[in-house]
Amino acid sequence: MYLNQFLLLAAFLFSVGVYGVLARKNGVLVLMSIELILNAVNINLVAFGAFHDTVAGQVFALFVIAVAAAEVGVGLAIVLLIYRNRHSIDLSEVDLMKG
Amino acid sequence: MHAVLAAAQTLKAPDLDYFALAPEIVLTAVLVGILLLDVFVDETRKYLVTQVAGLGLLVSLVPVVALAANGADRSMLGGAYVVDNFALLVKALFLATGYVVLLMSSDYIGEGDYYEGEYSFLLLSSLLGMMVMGSSRDLITIFVALELLSIPAYLLAGWRKRDLRSNEACLKYYLLGVLASAVMLYGMSLIFGATGSTVLRTIGREVGGSVGEEPIVTLGIFFIVVGFAFKVSAVPFHFWAPDTYEGAPTPVTAFLSVASKAAGFVALLQLVYIGFFGREEVWGPLFWVLAALTMTVGNLVALRQTNVVRMLAYSSVAQAGYILVPFAVAGSNPAANATAQTAALVYLLIYAAMNLGAFAIVMAVARKTRSAEISSYGGLFTYAPGLTLLMSVFLFSLAGIPPLAGWFAKLYIFESALDAGTAAAVTLAVVAGLNAVIALFYYSAVAKEMWMRPVPDGDTTPIPVPPALAAALAFTAIVVVAVGVYPQAFARLGDLAQLTLR
Amino acid sequence: MSAFLRGYLSVLVFGFAAVAMVGAMLGAGRLLRPSRPQPQKYIAYESGVDPVGTGWSQSQVRYYIFALLFVMFDVEAVFIFPWAIRLEALGIFGLVEMLIFIVILALGLVYAWRKGVLRWV
Repeated sequence: MYLNQFLLLAAFLFSVGVYGVLARKNGVLVLMSIELILNAVNINLVAFGAFHDTVAGQVFALFVIAVAAAEVGVGLAIVLLIYRNRHSIDLSEVDLMKG
Repeated sequence: MHAVLAAAQTLKAPDLDYFALAPEIVLTAVLVGILLLDVFVDETRKYLVTQVAGLGLLVSLVPVVALAANGADRSMLGGAYVVDNFALLVKALFLATGYVVLLMSSDYIGEGDYYEGEYSFLLLSSLLGMMVMGSSRDLITIFVALELLSIPAYLLAGWRKRDLRSNEACLKYYLLGVLASAVMLYGMSLIFGATGSTVLRTIGREVGGSVGEEPIVTLGIFFIVVGFAFKVSAVPFHFWAPDTYEGAPTPVTAFLSVASKAAGFVALLQLVYIGFFGREEVWGPLFWVLAALTMTVGNLVALRQTNVVRMLAYSSVAQAGYILVPFAVAGSNPAANATAQTAALVYLLIYAAMNLGAFAIVMAVARKTRSAEISSYGGLFTYAPGLTLLMSVFLFSLAGIPPLAGWFAKLYIFESALDAGTAAAVTLAVVAGLNAVIALFYYSAVAKEMWMRPVPDGDTTPIPVPPALAAALAFTAIVVVAVGVYPQAFARLGDLAQLTLR
Repeated sequence: MSAFLRGYLSVLVFGFAAVAMVGAMLGAGRLLRPSRPQPQKYIAYESGVDPVGTGWSQSQVRYYIFALLFVMFDVEAVFIFPWAIRLEALGIFGLVEMLIFIVILALGLVYAWRKGVLRWV
């Protein structure tokens, strides 16, 4: 069973996603980076599920897909709200308050 | 998909225990009811939605109490969903918190021309997620519960749609929340890979055995703990919290800082005590560092704040640090792990009451002064003595002054650290003690402003407190004082609600 | 060679065949057709009418709601497929559970309808 390749691919996707979330300023690109992380998770889950010969991994992946759709739906709505109020989706400009 | 379909061939109807599910079923029915009510009732009678929502919360408390009276532990779906004393206690906590938040917000949302019906709907959805979280003993269930409680909370944070600050609060909360759950999911996938199961009990058995030695388990535990550290706003993952708390509508801030945080801790308790208990050497030091950093940074930054909401935000970061102390010391010896669990639970219960109370006062005062600056609290005693007294009670309880509830909560934290008895645990107890002293400064600064300073603008008309807000204040104040005077009752609750290991 | 890699060999062969076929068709077309470039031929095709404005234009933001509604309902279908396989064995229990699931989903649609999201103004 070829597990390592899948895990490496997932780890790579995860890293790209985390980098994207931290480095990108465009709201939509940040959302896409988050999707990348979630897809890395799905690859892991399905690969491990096949490795252990259990269906739980795929069921978990299905839940991740369904919930991610809801999450990104909300995210797009928020980005749209920001765009309506500021006419820009550059996230680095959203800094009225400094944590 | 293929394997799922193939496995579905052997799927049988699960054996559901409807009595055990009754609180969630009732809450779901209420959710459906208020959504329909909201879309079919006309604009002038939207307050009905809030009333039905409040009533629904009380009704779903009935099966929780009935289940507690019945006393039997109920487990279904192969151990993925468990209703035991722990689950019932946190469900009661979430329902009570939700009810108080609804009381606090009914006038705020009604007067502010916000979306009243949707507000109650989202609040209750988030509560439903928390209720499920209390029972979830399975990675998939924990994940679904976490998202169900988070997604409505993201929307609530941005409730003032036209306000740029509220937008910003919402955006920051959303981005960091989603990143945190993605990181946590990655950790979950690794844990699943190492153990081949999503049920916490099986994971606990595997992690305690030889599989637990694999580095992949260490990595998985690390990612999961980091993911939840975001959720409970532990330093260094706390950056979203002050901004979100300041920008979000005040009742939502109260909800986030109490219920959402409590849900994160509930998940952590279950994961650590059932799933990862065998790898104390991985999560013990991790929680130690998080706890020490969170307490210290939260308190030090809170000292410099001039805005009450931001101060309470940093104070709630610091309070999360105290709750992390029992986690850090839990694995040292069997006696310590029992006290640690009780300490964390008791602290969560008491923290909920005192923090909600403090936010209710902030809302009441803001009704008149339209400001949350600490300077605007000057001379509050001259025109609102009742509110001043209550605010002092809540602040000193947060600081941990006897004989208020917060004192008792802190006592339990110290006891858990001393029970552990190791050098690291005692050091952490000392750090917590020093922090309690620092915290006293900023809490008493607000008290001093209220009692001793003159009124800034000379306006001493009394503050009208609407009945719902007054009820919320009364409820939280009674809990804070009663628990302080008679703490044994709460300690007994905490002891009863122990999670059974393995 | 393992069975796993052999499985991917057919994918590889299939891929090569697809590329070769597209290449052959386009190449044959290039060899056979006469080449007489005119500026009009490079204008974007809009049903034979001269194009108005630039090719890059923003689409109505209101489409987003429909896209979102579609995605939500589309994705929830993943829970229905495994259920459909086992409908007979799950019996009345499965039917009622799935009805509850779909009714709650449909409530979202009812909400969108009552709030006037579905009306195109």
